[in-house]
Amino acid sequence: MPASRPHIVVEDLSIGWGSRVLMEHVNFEVERGTTLAILGGSGSGKSTLLRYLIGLEQPMAGRIDIDGVGEPHVYTGVPPFGVLFQSGALFSSLTLAENLALPLTTWTNVRGPLVQDFVQAKLDLVGLGAFSGHFPGEISGGMKKRAGIARAMMIEPDLLFFDEPSAGLDPISAVELDHLIVTLSRDLGITIVIVTHELPSIFLVADNCIVLDKETKGIVARGDPQRLRDESAIPFVHNFFTRSSPSAPGAREG
Amino acid sequence: MSVAITAEADGERTRLVPAGTFDLAHASAVVRAVEQAERDLIASGDVDLHLSALDRIDGSGAVLLARLIDRLEARGLRTRVIEDHNPHAFRLITLYRERRVEARPQATRKMGLLAQLGFVAAAVPGKMAGALDFLGHAAAAIPKALVSRRSVDWSSLPRLMQAICADAWPVTSAANLLIGMIIGFLGVSQLGRFGAEVYVPELVVVAQFRELGPLVTALVLAGRSGAGLASELATMQVSEEIDALRSMGFDPVSWLVVPRCLALVVAVPLLTWIGDVFALSGGLLATIVSTDMTPRAYVLGAELHITGANFLNGMIKTPFLGLIIGLIACRQGLAARGGAAAVGARTTSAVVMAIFGVIAISALFTLFFTLLGI
Repeated sequence: MPASRPHIVVEDLSIGWGSRVLMEHVNFEVERGTTLAILGGSGSGKSTLLRYLIGLEQPMAGRIDIDGVGEPHVYTGVPPFGVLFQSGALFSSLTLAENLALPLTTWTNVRGPLVQDFVQAKLDLVGLGAFSGHFPGEISGGMKKRAGIARAMMIEPDLLFFDEPSAGLDPISAVELDHLIVTLSRDLGITIVIVTHELPSIFLVADNCIVLDKETKGIVARGDPQRLRDESAIPFVHNFFTRSSPSAPGAREG
Repeated sequence: MSVAITAEADGERTRLVPAGTFDLAHASAVVRAVEQAERDLIASGDVDLHLSALDRIDGSGAVLLARLIDRLEARGLRTRVIEDHNPHAFRLITLYRERRVEARPQATRKMGLLAQLGFVAAAVPGKMAGALDFLGHAAAAIPKALVSRRSVDWSSLPRLMQAICADAWPVTSAANLLIGMIIGFLGVSQLGRFGAEVYVPELVVVAQFRELGPLVTALVLAGRSGAGLASELATMQVSEEIDALRSMGFDPVSWLVVPRCLALVVAVPLLTWIGDVFALSGGLLATIVSTDMTPRAYVLGAELHITGANFLNGMIKTPFLGLIIGLIACRQGLAARGGAAAVGARTTSAVVMAIFGVIAISALFTLFFTLLGI
């Protein structure tokens, strides 16, 4: 496979509900093995864009091409990616091991003790090896998210989508999760698309980012997050990366 | 694509060379190759795993090779993983070896029948205490509601009355209509053997007004509203809305349980009364269809037996039936812990217990009235 071919190509994408257009003419690409962060303020449509990328919604116009294979919303079989939802979205009636085994036994021919081996290896990978028999209700929020990552990786996808993985976590759990994401990207070569507005996470995990703006209904900036923080002349982007508010009394100009 | 691991002697060392596609799709072939390599490897000393011949490897293939190395080391062999221009495979295998957790969770022992029995028995006092605690809270909430009107969410009462009473009347009325028809047909077939069809209106009135009207109405509401209330409160519990209420100083029993129970206490008598009318119509239909009795004769016969005693005998128990449905549904909903599965389990429990509670209360009243000779 040629190294130059992007893993995800989004062309002229317009999304929304009914007659309400949330975003229009959105274009971006994600290179194989890199991590792209989707950034933006609250209500800018970050998580909504993610729903379109993983095929839960059908675009109003435009094209989403993942790995050169069609539109995500037409996938009927095993999806070529894994997804971590905000809450982890583990099935509460199943143990962690059963949660992880579900995609493996559904989509592959792996059966018997091998399922247990693969499940245990993935739980070990995310640091939950000793919790395979626990139910989601018995573990912390950070552990649920790590278990969600392990489940997303069970069918060995080379593309992972994360929806606000650090949201609601304490700083230590958040940075541990960020390091896990870096490991997945750099050691396993997985392409990652991450929706977040946690600045420390962005600078640690993201190779590139796109910044969404609800006023312009599209991407207002793109590129290396550190370069955008230091060089962007767009007020919204500058304020976003420097955590400054133009309306805050006594706020310093960045 | 074939998958194999070849073992080659190289002086003091043994070279293990995995070749082919080591991924999830070929997991079974990889397992066979690994097992074959372990059987063939009788050497002692050093083992090198060369990665140059791997066409493709993913996490599953890396796990199987990592575990192979672990087992060889457990046999006392010294191992090395040789990158051989395949840094991706090297990183993968190293990662899965590094992250392996040695301490495995203890396998949970399956309980025997006796242990399960003991487990259930041991849980009974706790459950009883919880139920009594809830009953106490609910009882205390009533005077509290009278003293402090703001302790109860009165604004939800119209919505609850709509959902529990107004929206339910078609289904409770239809059920009672059918029950009336059943009593009518049964009366005609049984009393007709003695030429006593004239007593069918009396049978419909007595059976429906005293027993079946309240029972059928309450059973339908136990299934319909019991499930709805239990799942609503259980969802509020697992999504921390109940905790939020507590944190803001609200007592969930006063705030949520009182209006729901009150709505049911009002709804069951009303719906029973409407249901009684429909049951009389059902009995009328059955009688005029299957006998020569005229509608006027049926109405006159029924009218004669719609007495205060028959009417009140049934109606007096209906608020209690509504109360038991509300208390059970709210108790089960508030006791939910965990996630979606807990909501489902508590909803099921609420419906089953409410149905049983309705039948038990109805039977108690019947026994009481029989002993009093009413």
